[in-house]
Amino acid sequence: MDITTELRKIVGERLSVSPSELYCYSSDASQVKGMPDYVVRPKSTDEVSRIVRLAYENNIPVTARGAGTGLAGGAVPVGGGIVLDMSSMNRILEIDIDNIQVMVEPGIIQDALNNALKPYGFFFPPNPGSSAMCTIGGMIGYNASGMRCVKYGTTRNYVRDLEVVLADGTVIHTGSKMLKSAAGYDLTQLIVGSEGTLGIVTKASLKIVPLPKTRKLVIASFENAEIAGQAVVKTFSNGVIPSACEILDRVSLQVLKRYDPNLVLPSEGDVILFEVDGTESSAREAAEQIMKVCAPLALSIRLAESEKEMADIWAARKLVGAAVSRLDPTKSRIYVGEDVGVPIKQIPELLKRAQEIAEKFNLPAMKYGHIGDGNLHLALFIDVLNKDEWDRLNRAADLIHRTAIELGGTVSSEHGIGAARAEYMKTQWGPALEVMRAIKRVLDPKGILNPGKLGL
Amino acid sequence: MKNEGKKENEQGKELDETEISQKKGEKQLFEVDRRSVYRCVQCGTCRSVCPVFDVVGWESANTRGRMLIIKSLLEGMHPSEDVLPSLASCTTCGICASRCPAGVNPPEVVEAARTQLVKCGITTDAQEKLKSAVMTYGNSFGETTDRKQWLSEEELSKLPQKSDYVYFVGCLDSYRYPESAKKAFGVLRRFGVTLLPDEQCCASPLLRTGFKEEAEEVMERNLEQIRKIGAHTVITSCAGCYTTFKNNYPEELKVISLPEFLAEHLEELNLKKLDLTVTYHDPCHLGRHNKVYDAPRKVIQAICTLKEMKNIKENALCCGGGGGVRRGYPDVSLELARNRLKDVPEGVDYIVTSCPLCVRNLSDAGGNIEVIDIVELVAMAME
Repeated sequence: MDITTELRKIVGERLSVSPSELYCYSSDASQVKGMPDYVVRPKSTDEVSRIVRLAYENNIPVTARGAGTGLAGGAVPVGGGIVLDMSSMNRILEIDIDNIQVMVEPGIIQDALNNALKPYGFFFPPNPGSSAMCTIGGMIGYNASGMRCVKYGTTRNYVRDLEVVLADGTVIHTGSKMLKSAAGYDLTQLIVGSEGTLGIVTKASLKIVPLPKTRKLVIASFENAEIAGQAVVKTFSNGVIPSACEILDRVSLQVLKRYDPNLVLPSEGDVILFEVDGTESSAREAAEQIMKVCAPLALSIRLAESEKEMADIWAARKLVGAAVSRLDPTKSRIYVGEDVGVPIKQIPELLKRAQEIAEKFNLPAMKYGHIGDGNLHLALFIDVLNKDEWDRLNRAADLIHRTAIELGGTVSSEHGIGAARAEYMKTQWGPALEVMRAIKRVLDPKGILNPGKLGL
Repeated sequence: MKNEGKKENEQGKELDETEISQKKGEKQLFEVDRRSVYRCVQCGTCRSVCPVFDVVGWESANTRGRMLIIKSLLEGMHPSEDVLPSLASCTTCGICASRCPAGVNPPEVVEAARTQLVKCGITTDAQEKLKSAVMTYGNSFGETTDRKQWLSEEELSKLPQKSDYVYFVGCLDSYRYPESAKKAFGVLRRFGVTLLPDEQCCASPLLRTGFKEEAEEVMERNLEQIRKIGAHTVITSCAGCYTTFKNNYPEELKVISLPEFLAEHLEELNLKKLDLTVTYHDPCHLGRHNKVYDAPRKVIQAICTLKEMKNIKENALCCGGGGGVRRGYPDVSLELARNRLKDVPEGVDYIVTSCPLCVRNLSDAGGNIEVIDIVELVAMAME
């Protein structure tokens, strides 16, 4: 059977086998590489179902891809085969305010969804740094979250129902519009975070929440990360749950200033950005409380002066990870060991060890992340033309991953395992990994769905 | 490259098929600044703003895809025609550069890659036709008629031989919008501005599409005349000419866009107020590339009411005409223009811009509001 001909019957011109095109689908933002044999851009569930059935009948790997912004190679077809570029399935099918939810196709961009919800006074809270380009399908596949996780949780907390194409092309629904259900296994939660290894999401019903009336931002600097960590713990124990709680080390601050020279940020210490939201009075009260709690520990502390200042700081913060080469054009940020997480109390220890590891391997590092949920984004940067630096980088990343597990944490908090972190699954999960493998065997007996991922 | 059998090399000498395939085989020919390419971390920020990707939909048609393909060529992938739909379809609008967190300037990288592809003999038919027209006839249309037909014999004879200022008309205004050229020069001549006796294409189409060596030859033809006139300043009414003179010609030459010149001389122009509401489209090569945002707005506001488009200045969307895309991929180009027209606010009488290529592409996209050059608006206010 000629697969090209068969695929063309399904998607027509939305198939490519051009070497240049295939190359563009052979990577994401990680270091994982894998050339597909075909790329298709389906436009409907029916097309996805027919493609997957064709793949099933011919034992061809199928890898779903959104915007390819992933940092673990999740959308990289390491086993070749078909890449399903889902970004053409990008419609909002229903905004159901009465049931406080929205039904979307997986290719919709996170920011586009929120722009559409704004006039209704609602939003979909998980907001990764890549919200301007990442797709909801990718967010579901990797249980993405971002800066507001500390208050609003992760994508998982918002998925009510999924339409999923299974390995043999069968289409199922995993939930309903109901707020709760006590009828059987929770397949929705099984699919969220499964990285396209159990099925292909073709529709999603998502819970949405009212937009807060106002947001306020407290910018505090501390002598070192450990004291900053203490300030966060104190804030929580005083009953304030910020809507975001971000740490930025000295290097991150330098990068942010290079990215946007107009930003007014503390010139010394490690900085915590505390965002609170709610009504004008509740947000003000929370901000004041944070300032009161943190003042004895802080080198400086202030409230952002305007909504514009707040928006500018967040916009820069969102892109800080990719901006390190503004500090030194010969260095590039390589996404490895960049997403570890530990229990909140262990954050100061993780920060300390991360710095020691960077120094041990003589690698410049930038540390930032969601300190409020224990997620550290360590950015190591190297001269990509220097082989020795690559070697040191990979050894440092390995040690970071092992350190996170040792501290009772995870090798990935929100970016996923993909192929980049697959080797740590056994160490992190022990016998639980066998349960995951058993589930995989049942749902994908031929192993065609995103093979080579999750350490399965 | 569409192999018509014969092609010219940099010196204009014809190459036969064997020579071309030999050139194609020389992978080491493909070399662009590696640092610029490796600074890209593939985050995809550019993917969210690339106007071509928005229309085409394939990864290869966005900036990240182009950077990846260029990287693959640097790392040894054999350059072939397969890369052209990606690398030749960039309008070089630069919106990606304005957003890139890593500070990469993709249009520069793309243009450098196109230059390398040209060296490898890999070009589109449209590129070849454009080059041939410019090199043979001195204009991008292959027109054989006189460039200054819009000027009367008498006016022609009165052109100053020496001047500090030269108005560089450009191919589009010379051949497609001669009325605009006439109006622009009508204003400029009052200030003692002259024209080049034998103006040639500014070389923008050649530079944007990778014909660097040919471009240098054409630029020299213009430079020689500018030197003879003794001018220190070139005034342009086309955004493509402007960016080329500003960034590709020798630095000692001062370059002013027509809207900047008009804004500087508003008082002397005695413009009357018009009961009009217009919007303004920022041409990429005047705006984002060279930050000329305020001057055209100042001129418009001196005449009538300005109602801004949805995306302006740094965020303005491309008209779709630049980078050789109008010639090479006309359908894509017009779709971009249609997308740009969606940004036009309600209740405006004209869409004003400062680039004849933008006028042309936006007009061709078939909106119901007339697109005019800023000089047309000024002329109305001078009547």
